[in-house]
Amino acid sequence: MSILETQDCYRPQRGVRGWIGGRFIAWAPALLGLLRRWKPILHLFSTWVVTRYDDVVEIFETDAAFGVTYAENLDVITDKQPFFLGMRDTADYRRQLAGMRTVCTAADLHRLADDAEARAQAMVDATDGRIEVVGLVRPAAFDTIARYFGVPEPAVGSLSVWGSRLFEFQFTGSPADKVWLADVEQIAAAFRVHIDGVIAARKAKVDRPDDVLSRCLTLQAQGAAGYSDVEIRTALLCMIVGGPPQPPMVLPQALEQLLRRPAWLAVAQQAARAGDDGRLWAIIQEAMRFDPLGPGLKRIALQDWTLARGTSSARTITKGSNVVAAFSSAMMDARRIPDPKRFDPDRQPHEYVHFGHGLHICFGLQINKATMPRMLKPLLARQNLRRARGSAGHLRKNGLFSDRLVVEFD
Amino acid sequence: MRQTTLCVPLEVKPESCSRLVALIEDLKRAEDKGSDPRTANFFRLHNQIPTLHFLSMSVFPAAEFDPMFIIEANFDGPPGPFWRQIDAVAGERIRAMIRCCKRPRDDTGALYDAVTEPGSKVAVARYLEARTEQPSVFHHGNRGLSRDRILEDHQLFLAVRAEIDRPTGGRPSPYRTGTAAQAQTLLRAAMLPVFPWLDDPAPKRISLSERISDIFRLLRFIVVALVALTLPGLLLAAALRWQVYLSMLGITAIIIFALLFKHRAAIAGTEVINRGKVHLLSPVKLLLLLVGAALTIFLATLVVTPIILAIDAIGRFATPFDTAAIPIAAREAAYVAALGVVSVFVTLPLIVLILRYNEMRDSAQDRPPQDERMLREMIRREDWIAQNHMGSIVLIKPGILRSIIIRAGHYGLGLFLRVTATDGYLGSMRTVHFAHWAFLNNHSRLLFFSNFDHSWDSYLDDFIEKAHAGLTLAWGSGIGFPPTRLLVYDGASHGRQFKNWALASRTVSRLWYSAYPDLTVDQIERNHQIANGLRKRSMTEEEATAWHWLL
Repeated sequence: MSILETQDCYRPQRGVRGWIGGRFIAWAPALLGLLRRWKPILHLFSTWVVTRYDDVVEIFETDAAFGVTYAENLDVITDKQPFFLGMRDTADYRRQLAGMRTVCTAADLHRLADDAEARAQAMVDATDGRIEVVGLVRPAAFDTIARYFGVPEPAVGSLSVWGSRLFEFQFTGSPADKVWLADVEQIAAAFRVHIDGVIAARKAKVDRPDDVLSRCLTLQAQGAAGYSDVEIRTALLCMIVGGPPQPPMVLPQALEQLLRRPAWLAVAQQAARAGDDGRLWAIIQEAMRFDPLGPGLKRIALQDWTLARGTSSARTITKGSNVVAAFSSAMMDARRIPDPKRFDPDRQPHEYVHFGHGLHICFGLQINKATMPRMLKPLLARQNLRRARGSAGHLRKNGLFSDRLVVEFD
Repeated sequence: MRQTTLCVPLEVKPESCSRLVALIEDLKRAEDKGSDPRTANFFRLHNQIPTLHFLSMSVFPAAEFDPMFIIEANFDGPPGPFWRQIDAVAGERIRAMIRCCKRPRDDTGALYDAVTEPGSKVAVARYLEARTEQPSVFHHGNRGLSRDRILEDHQLFLAVRAEIDRPTGGRPSPYRTGTAAQAQTLLRAAMLPVFPWLDDPAPKRISLSERISDIFRLLRFIVVALVALTLPGLLLAAALRWQVYLSMLGITAIIIFALLFKHRAAIAGTEVINRGKVHLLSPVKLLLLLVGAALTIFLATLVVTPIILAIDAIGRFATPFDTAAIPIAAREAAYVAALGVVSVFVTLPLIVLILRYNEMRDSAQDRPPQDERMLREMIRREDWIAQNHMGSIVLIKPGILRSIIIRAGHYGLGLFLRVTATDGYLGSMRTVHFAHWAFLNNHSRLLFFSNFDHSWDSYLDDFIEKAHAGLTLAWGSGIGFPPTRLLVYDGASHGRQFKNWALASRTVSRLWYSAYPDLTVDQIERNHQIANGLRKRSMTEEEATAWHWLL
């Protein structure tokens, strides 16, 4: 079977390597807790692991000293077309960001959230009281976002697999792994061709739906800069790769955390039934704090920089070093987070660093906030929501990524 | 819920003082929406710093020093998360304020540079944390009640009042016709749907571990103080026969007490009536002292016994593990320790006598200079709400003995308050929310901040009437303080003189925030007792009648 037609959203983590990776992910919170206490800025070969809240935020806020490392992998995906995710704070970065903000507006959020909920609702209604949560969230997320951006499913393969595979490579892979690179290049090329075809078809259409693609083409027709066919393709591709793989990772993790806390699960269900989306998001966001998207985000030191300057833990990070800003650890740092082990959905916004911070804060933050609670809402609203019997009822991960969690309801 | 009181004193660059004042006023204007009915005053501080009770920012001018910028904060929980919350609300504004302050010469200088350099993103929380000064003495009114608990209790109180006053269409109110227990049951049923937390047990105001820790720390202080005071006696008791030793102590004590008796009265012209009675040895204090003495003897025995055994062993060239000698050595050690403790009756009065001689030679400032403009500014900002705020800095009198006494006195007073002031009030004073003293500039200056109910005048009157001894003990070390006598007498009882002195040491509270500006200490306690009553599923008629009086 061609890699384009695979049903596996992520590379299977098998064997000893897979086991070690799984153990490492499972033990990461405890290891990071030890580092936070004893070695808050750890130097390990050419990599620095930063674990305290203040230091993590300083890294995210000091873009001149700590650049993003996404460009190399993005080049593989976009065929060397620049995209703001991989850029530093330049005029091009700001122009591209402004361009995307012109076509993705706050006014769309309500519609997006309704769409996400309707899709999740249909899937929950179609079951007989037993559902696999990753399989519920993934299509809901991809279908909602793909429709919003105006990219339909390809004739061969699927957006969710392609998007997830490219997401996995973007944030955890390296072009040095030639086998992986070959797979990714194949998927990325097919994805680009698919979007090119969609753009061409849309251009030929007179009666265009109101989505991001149509808005881009309208601006293109008006002669606005930044909306050439290639630029539109790159933006749509990166949005679908960067956005919808997140909910199927993190929402099953959040539900797993709620299943471990029946009292809070009951509160979440109450909010879901009452249609209190704000409260539901607060609870999900707090649940995510106990098992976030990943342990940290990578950065590269663009200059020699003394982190935590003036304190006893100050360390000078040399230019060119890799830096892991462990945001998962930052959100558990009792030096700045009140009673971090307590489940408290009423926390202050600054206590969450789920989607980065500063210049490269996740572009889809508002979309996530609007759609994530709505994807879980139909399931949470059901009576007697519980784990399925046996191991299926406990979250299984494939490396960093949620793989399977089965729940039942009446 | 454990609360924290602290302050951050920062020396100001004289040339930047007016800019700093303008920055604080800007922050105040930005946060305090004043008469804008669409937003509550200080709504960002209120919502984004949910642990904060009181916050102030003041700039103290001084003739002898450059101005001092002080941030005072009283909040729930540990300082780290609180500073981060402050940073999130006003980090950049505070960074600009820090830039108006001098670079510290100690090891926080590098952190100052990191925080103040152009474009810095280093958290100001770090600097504020590093420059924090811990209070020497502090008092928490309504101790153990978190800010949210206070606000929720008050919401409940308002709802209860509305429910009781609800028109009944001519019928008699059900809360007035039945028994008190029935009224409690009815009110609970009416309130429970709106305040579901009434079903939860009342949160513990002071945890058992906190209580044990407070008592332990006070006993530890008493033991250390007794050891220090008895050390000369301990050495003498070991060297002399007990008859000689006790005779010496007795004669010395008689002389010291005679001299103290001679100088006990106020110096002519400074006599004043001490309105409140000073209980130097109340039952609680006596009990603590006796426990402390017993512990001292016990600990001294533990320490001295092996010393005696070792000396004995060396003297006899025998093994030090002669178990038969242990009880004998322990008996000897306990005997010496007990004799040593008796020497407190000499060392303590001797210290008081020396201090009394100092007191007789101290100068008091009868008419301290007062900046009229500042006075007008202070008066303009006072008495807008039920509470007020004051900040004061005074210079401390010199002298080694006095310096030791001030530090030990403040430390002991602070520990004593932690053990005794547990009912929400400061003894018989029912108006203090959060107050603290702290030493500045290498213990050469004494800072005082208080958040209190009613006017400044009535607050000080309350102090003078009910707590002048503690006030004199804590503040009597200030240069210019009205004449004191035997550490705790007179001093603050010189009402007018004391008020003039306190007023001259004050400055304008440029920014002052209270999380519950309409609530007095008394009202908060009352609200809490009402809430606790409603948490109970049932009450005896006797309990209910007592509770009913609160409504």
